[in-house]
Amino acid sequence: MNLNPAVVMDNGTGLTKLGFAGNDSPSWIFPTAIATASPSGNKKTGSSATSSSVSGSGTNGSNGSSNPYFGNSTSATNFGGLTGGKMLLSNNLAGKRGTEDLDFYIGNEALVAAQSPSYSLSYPIRHGQVENWDHMERFWENSIFKYLRTEPEDHYFLLTEPPLNPPENREQVAEIFFESFNCAGLYIAVQAVLALAASWTSSKVIDRSLTGTVIDSGDGVTHVIPVAEGYVIGSAIKNIPIAGRDITEFIQSLLRERGEADTSLRTAERIKQEYCYVCPDIVKEFNKFDRQPEKFAQFIVESQEKTKQKVVDVGYERFLAPEIFFNPEIASSDYLTPLPTVVDQTIQACPIDVRKGLYNNIVLSGGSTMFKDFSRRLQRDMKSIVNARISQNEKMTGVKSSGVDVQVISHRKQRNAVWFGGSLLAQTAEFRGYCHTKRDYEEIGPEIVRNFSLFNVM
Amino acid sequence: MLHLDPHNLLLQKTLAEAREAQLAGRPLTLDRIVSDFDYTTFHVSNAPEDKSMLWVSIRSKAYQTVASCGSTYQSYLKDKLEAYPGIQLSSQTEAAYDISLIVDLNKLTQEGVVYLSLLKVLVVSYPFHLAFEEFDRLSKIPVPVDEPPVLSDVLFNIKHRDNEQFFVKPSNDRVTVIFETIFEDETDKIFGKVFLQEFVDARKRNRNIQSSPQVLVSHEPPLEVQNFFNTHRQQAGSDSDQKKYITFVLFPRHFQTSELQFSTICHLALFRNYFHYHIKCSKAYMHSRMRYRVNTFVKVLNRAKLDDEDEEDAENKNGEQEHTRKTISGRKMVY
Ligand SMILES: Nc1ncnc2c1ncn2[C@@H]1O[C@H](COP(=O)(O)OP(=O)(O)O)[C@@H](O)[C@H]1O
Ligand SMILES: [Mg+2]
Repeated sequence: MNLNPAVVMDNGTGLTKLGFAGNDSPSWIFPTAIATASPSGNKKTGSSATSSSVSGSGTNGSNGSSNPYFGNSTSATNFGGLTGGKMLLSNNLAGKRGTEDLDFYIGNEALVAAQSPSYSLSYPIRHGQVENWDHMERFWENSIFKYLRTEPEDHYFLLTEPPLNPPENREQVAEIFFESFNCAGLYIAVQAVLALAASWTSSKVIDRSLTGTVIDSGDGVTHVIPVAEGYVIGSAIKNIPIAGRDITEFIQSLLRERGEADTSLRTAERIKQEYCYVCPDIVKEFNKFDRQPEKFAQFIVESQEKTKQKVVDVGYERFLAPEIFFNPEIASSDYLTPLPTVVDQTIQACPIDVRKGLYNNIVLSGGSTMFKDFSRRLQRDMKSIVNARISQNEKMTGVKSSGVDVQVISHRKQRNAVWFGGSLLAQTAEFRGYCHTKRDYEEIGPEIVRNFSLFNVM
Repeated sequence: MLHLDPHNLLLQKTLAEAREAQLAGRPLTLDRIVSDFDYTTFHVSNAPEDKSMLWVSIRSKAYQTVASCGSTYQSYLKDKLEAYPGIQLSSQTEAAYDISLIVDLNKLTQEGVVYLSLLKVLVVSYPFHLAFEEFDRLSKIPVPVDEPPVLSDVLFNIKHRDNEQFFVKPSNDRVTVIFETIFEDETDKIFGKVFLQEFVDARKRNRNIQSSPQVLVSHEPPLEVQNFFNTHRQQAGSDSDQKKYITFVLFPRHFQTSELQFSTICHLALFRNYFHYHIKCSKAYMHSRMRYRVNTFVKVLNRAKLDDEDEEDAENKNGEQEHTRKTISGRKMVY
């Protein structure tokens, strides 16, 4: 019997999470980026910039260990380990005609390669959906063979898709996975449903149901997705144009205004991840900062060679940056609806009989929900919206309401909740039965992937 | 890129991170599965009650047949692995795995991490090692001139996949490695055929790689293994006529030193994976070209549609003045 673990891949707009079912975290997290050889030929500079000793021999010596490109990332655009003069292993394709399609790098290696003029960087996924299939196919090819070291014929795959992914996109995915890669079996799951499954690790979740409202906030967009018994209520989904990248840019603009020594995106992103939190009340928080200057932090940026240090002060952005979820007018003039209001509107747009379950189980997922006290604030604001409506209704109708229980679930696996949910489902004995196999595909064709039966492991 | 490393990048990363965390005094909690080609799975986990010790286990399809190649397998592995500080071959093997190692993170070196990430290669290197030894023995036997090469009756047979196997055959002047290969997919069959043809010809065409081992491809089992197939008829199976045989001829220059030996083994151990990776990349490339073609056709069709609508417009009795103009890719011009 084939004991190979299933492969779980969550290709996000910013970061790709790759790994094997049964593990508790993704094996690889790197930017969903690909650096391709620029068509016009200045290959000479490129090859010298990236070439190093191509040993070619089996024993890679000691330089193989702890290669800085291979640590997991938390950033889609910046690569933290850029220290030292470590060079990429050259593709060694310079000057060979007709091999441009082989000359590319993905992930962190792509960010490094893109620093030389002979490569151009692109992100094949936009707003959660694949935009460039050529790039995506090569991104997958490299992910599977180089990073995961799997022969796709020997493994089942679980892939994720954003809500409202057009069925044509699914078919494209199936074509690539079955025809290019001959994968043994394929299951495509909706990200929100996996995020719900991941929340079962929280002690607050008692009945492992697939009903709830998922707030998935990644790099490019934030989705609010109601799910009832495993089915996404498509008509009620709402998007918010505020996500990780916007918060980083907001921090950057504050740093620039103050004229800090380093105002790069990379610094802004690190400040976001290491210092920012959500406060209960901004006016009070401003006062607190004025009374306790120790709240201001300092962030030290080391130069690439670790020789020079720059000191960046961190100020009000610590709480102001994540605040744009709750008060968008701080950062933008055209998008003004606070997140809690959007969540409430989403649930109100759903059939009345599922609303209780949706308020009851609001699940967070994605990197940009990681701010400290994010769930607490959301829960408080949601409660006050709901309570205001209830008391208004009571006044109008004179009937006492039984109340609505609002609960926001935050849990340890939240950051890569989608991947983790996939890992949970794909490790079950039933998983393979729910996949479409290569044989099914050959018999019926790509439209086979328009439907996957839902499976609930409980 | 098509470059595949001989070592397992993920295993290397996992071990390097565990080692660094241990040295920094913040040991990791680990219970991870890592996969590799040809039905190989690693399991990396903390030893019970002591986070500075790791269990690293491997399960591999090839293990059974490799182990039966000789009686010295365990001591071979032990010698190789325990040459690195902190690595110890465990006498108890984790359930469902073939080999378990106990790794002391406080003693493990960076070289040790790299070596462990080559564990899969090490597991299959044993028959090669035996074959090189046998070659040494045979080559010392004086051969009268005009006599055919001394053929040893030693033949190692390794079943590394459900449907495929390979052979290592030593003789007095060479070591021959023969891969059996089969394709399930019709498209792959064609790509594979073209690829193998190119592979054989490349050496003839390109002077720079003249010193690489000679490659031969045949439909029939080559001479070296014919005896094996005669005695294992039933083994050949019904699909035997679909199979092809790829022979690599290794001469002493390919395995003179132990470094050369190891590098040769690394390349051969990855051969099948490379082969299939190339085919998949070629298919991806064909897909790109097809998408490009379809896009250009769609553009042409869209332009054709323009005329159509223009005619309709002209016939339109209402005499609407407006012309719908379209861009080259068929989008309506708005003005
Ligand atoms: N601890 C953190 N605090 C705040 N933001 C974070 C944190 N960790 C990661 N992020 C941000 O999360 C985003 C990536 O989230 P992810 O869910 O992986 O996105 P996607 O699935 O869209 O690729 C990035 O913008 C990153 O900066
Ligand atoms: Mg995501």
